[in-house]
Amino acid sequence: MRLRTCFASCVLFLGLAVMPAPSWGIITVTDDIELEGFVKTQNILRTPMFRDAELIMQRNTAQLEGKYYFLRESQAFGRFATGPLEEATLTLIGRGVYDSIYDIRHTYNEAFGKNQRLNRQFEYKLREAFVDMVLPPFTLRLGRQQVVWGETDNFRALDVINPLDLRWHANWEPWEDIRIPLWMARAIYDIGKFGPLEESFVEAVWIPWDFQPNKVAADPRRPWGFIGDGLARVANSALIGGQLLDLDFMVRDDKPSKKFKNGQAGVRFKAIWGGIDFSLNYFYGFSGDPGFKVRSDLARLEGRTLHAVLDRVHPRSHVVGIAANYSEEKYTQSVFRVETTFTTGVPVTIAQNAPKRLDPDGNQFDTADRSVVMLAIDRPTWIRPLNNIRTFFLSAQFFWRRYLDYSRFYRGIPSVRRAHMNGEVVPDRFISTNADKIDQNEFVITFSASTSYGPGGLWQPLFVFALDPLSTGAYNKFSMDYLWSNHFVLRFEQNFFWRVRSHDPGPWAIGDLYGRPRDSRHESVFSAIFQF
Amino acid sequence: MEKRALQGPVSFLSYFLIAALALAFSGLWASPPTALANQDQSYDTLRNWIEHARPETELTPGQHLTLKDRAILEPLIPQPAWEYYFYDGMDMEIAETGTYPPPADWGKNVPSGYQLDEQGVLIGFSGGGFPFPNIDAAAPQVAQKVIWNMLWRPGAEDYVMPMVAWSRSPNGQLDRQFEFTAVTSRYAQGDHCLVPGYEEVRTKQLMEFRSPRDMAGAKMLTKTYVDHYKEDNGWMYMPAQRKPRRTLASERTSEVMGMDYTMEDAMGFGGKVYEHNWSYLGKRRVIATINVETNPEAGGPHLWVPKDARWEVREAHVLLVDPKSANHPYSHKIIFIDTETFWTLWMFGFDRQDDHLLRMNQHFLKYSESYAHETAAQAPYMKLDYANNVGERVFYHLGETDINPKKPHATFSHCYVMTRHFSSGRAKQFYSVRNMVSGRR
Repeated sequence: MRLRTCFASCVLFLGLAVMPAPSWGIITVTDDIELEGFVKTQNILRTPMFRDAELIMQRNTAQLEGKYYFLRESQAFGRFATGPLEEATLTLIGRGVYDSIYDIRHTYNEAFGKNQRLNRQFEYKLREAFVDMVLPPFTLRLGRQQVVWGETDNFRALDVINPLDLRWHANWEPWEDIRIPLWMARAIYDIGKFGPLEESFVEAVWIPWDFQPNKVAADPRRPWGFIGDGLARVANSALIGGQLLDLDFMVRDDKPSKKFKNGQAGVRFKAIWGGIDFSLNYFYGFSGDPGFKVRSDLARLEGRTLHAVLDRVHPRSHVVGIAANYSEEKYTQSVFRVETTFTTGVPVTIAQNAPKRLDPDGNQFDTADRSVVMLAIDRPTWIRPLNNIRTFFLSAQFFWRRYLDYSRFYRGIPSVRRAHMNGEVVPDRFISTNADKIDQNEFVITFSASTSYGPGGLWQPLFVFALDPLSTGAYNKFSMDYLWSNHFVLRFEQNFFWRVRSHDPGPWAIGDLYGRPRDSRHESVFSAIFQF
Repeated sequence: MEKRALQGPVSFLSYFLIAALALAFSGLWASPPTALANQDQSYDTLRNWIEHARPETELTPGQHLTLKDRAILEPLIPQPAWEYYFYDGMDMEIAETGTYPPPADWGKNVPSGYQLDEQGVLIGFSGGGFPFPNIDAAAPQVAQKVIWNMLWRPGAEDYVMPMVAWSRSPNGQLDRQFEFTAVTSRYAQGDHCLVPGYEEVRTKQLMEFRSPRDMAGAKMLTKTYVDHYKEDNGWMYMPAQRKPRRTLASERTSEVMGMDYTMEDAMGFGGKVYEHNWSYLGKRRVIATINVETNPEAGGPHLWVPKDARWEVREAHVLLVDPKSANHPYSHKIIFIDTETFWTLWMFGFDRQDDHLLRMNQHFLKYSESYAHETAAQAPYMKLDYANNVGERVFYHLGETDINPKKPHATFSHCYVMTRHFSSGRAKQFYSVRNMVSGRR
């Protein structure tokens, strides 16, 4: 059965790859319907400390995107006059995934029950489905969609409207593919020029009931399971009063229900003033990252088993921010970007030994206020010894996050460690601890460079570097796309995670976590993409 | 104990990585071979051709010229292009040299009081006609006057233009095929502006890619200003990012994606006048695809040049453009601009390293009134009503070839153009940053 599935996938993929295509890029089916999409196979080889190699992913993706122009020039379906409604389209984006690693690797095949395996192996989703309507000066997009605000690349400040699905490959994929689209309404009213402002508009988003949190694979059996700074194990014990107890804990999900009272909404005003393209933003939502309340009142001891209860909560959050960019053409020939936010309702864990005044409920949970300042520069740059026909696109970011109501009892990522009794390791017993003291100021610096080589620009390298100067964790990526044809793209990526020992982990989950000798996640990614 | 599926080949992997990195940054790929480049393609050769070559034979309308007529054609085709335009099977149909009047109101609402400053920049001009309808070769700054006429020529905007571009290696090997659509409007129209209140804006253009898929949905909004000293503004929307990104306008000398042209080479010259020194080299007769029947097919051994097209002998102003910056990839650029219509016919850019041809382009044009009796091809993905073109009395850009002999590589493109005049309100809505915050996905 497994073999047959693999074979069918290969036949499907190869069939699509060699099949003559009726057109390029966007396929015009009729005057009103267009299709596009791709089939991709992605194979990831993890190379811990470069001393070993292990296939951890064989993910096959098919994505189909359709657009239906059902209203043009104020005529719906070519016959009904729609007055001021000038244009409307329907867009559908569906994705199907089959990760064969759960079939071909014993590690993953045998680690999960059938349903668990199927859930991780397959995904069929109508990811986006929205209608665009143009009623000048209004435009409206209704449906399941992604909305991105802000100037920051790949870090969260204003870009918090859609949660992320970090379960299958953390955030090492294009965020377009890991954002979780939400049902929402997005309206824009174009103002244009007024006073000293140009290109101004007001945009509002309303998510009536569709809250979804960021999704992280906490299961250490998954290839990209998030295990913090500890072991890839599940805590099965608790050390209380010098006794090692069996641990049975239950997490109760207190996710906001699908009710209008749990709606989220935001508004931004965007304009250009003196060449500065800026936006003022406000979003009222829920924290996408969960907090955990320890319910001591519900904990009970039965024999040598501690039954513990945690409530997973998503506090209400206000995000206020400004984003801006400026293209300085004369002296630096660079585009400068800036983004700054103030966010409330950030869930944090309070240390167990915190004073009562900091944790009056005794649930080891609080919310904090946090600010972000991001400064960035983009510059197309000639580096002629390396490329004398095309520029390099260089981009650097400095991202500074600060807890405004900081407490030294704030804790970050919990970890699972071996249980010790009387100074000795207790076999097969694991406890959860949280000794990760959050820093008040958190930093990350990123740099990327890309260009293209070859007469037709078919070789497209990309270099990425990210560094957390406090944890000294770092991340490097080198990737090379080869555009074999309009339809066929080959991609090789190498992800490196570096770490200097003896530093606390930072918040960014880069080399400080994945560069540890016992959880080294260097990886090579080989992909082949057939695009319609 | 888990059985590792793959063990051992790490050292191979490491070597592979190091080799790939070394190759990527060694510059090997950045030092293209000089195949197909020859002595006929030097700057001196072209200057010599401009000075000495004179056609001795008058061409007859309806005449078809083939490779055996090379001697007749050599004085009419700039010498660096000979290598590509003379080939077995070539067939140039000669048409009568036409006259192509501009729009009826052209030049009638040009506000007075404009002038060239000492850098050759046109100050105080806001369109409506040619700034310098009469070109006097003995007048000062004549080269700049010609280029300003080219930059403000009729038909340069106010259209919807789906395009297909073929990026090809030698022997016609297709590397990439691009499909994209540009919609452009001229705001500054002499004594009035398309959108009142936006008088400082000269043009706005919105371009969207539809192929290949990795670029489909990418959009670019470009805004140029009447004040030539004010740098253009640009935004790009990439579907993968789902947000617009500000782009830098002042870097114009890098090749655009996998294509063989630079922004500064657009229509021969798309840069800033004050960044160059200008010289006028006189007038020359050249052969040009100025009023083709339809988009010419690609021909020649590499499919880099127009095949079986209709050509005319045209008189052209010849401009020498020397970049002021020592970092500019060109030492010299020579542009041939039609004396009647001020459309660019040929352009040759020479490598600063050796004064040999680095890039050239040649343009395919069609006059609006010929749509009344000729059917032009439709874009493969969009149908246009060419009846809208008749009566406009402007030229349309039906494509070009951009050849880089040093790579060697070329991009051959077809444009399918229909006049589109926006209302003030519609233009305001369409060409806005608001339109860049989302895309087809």
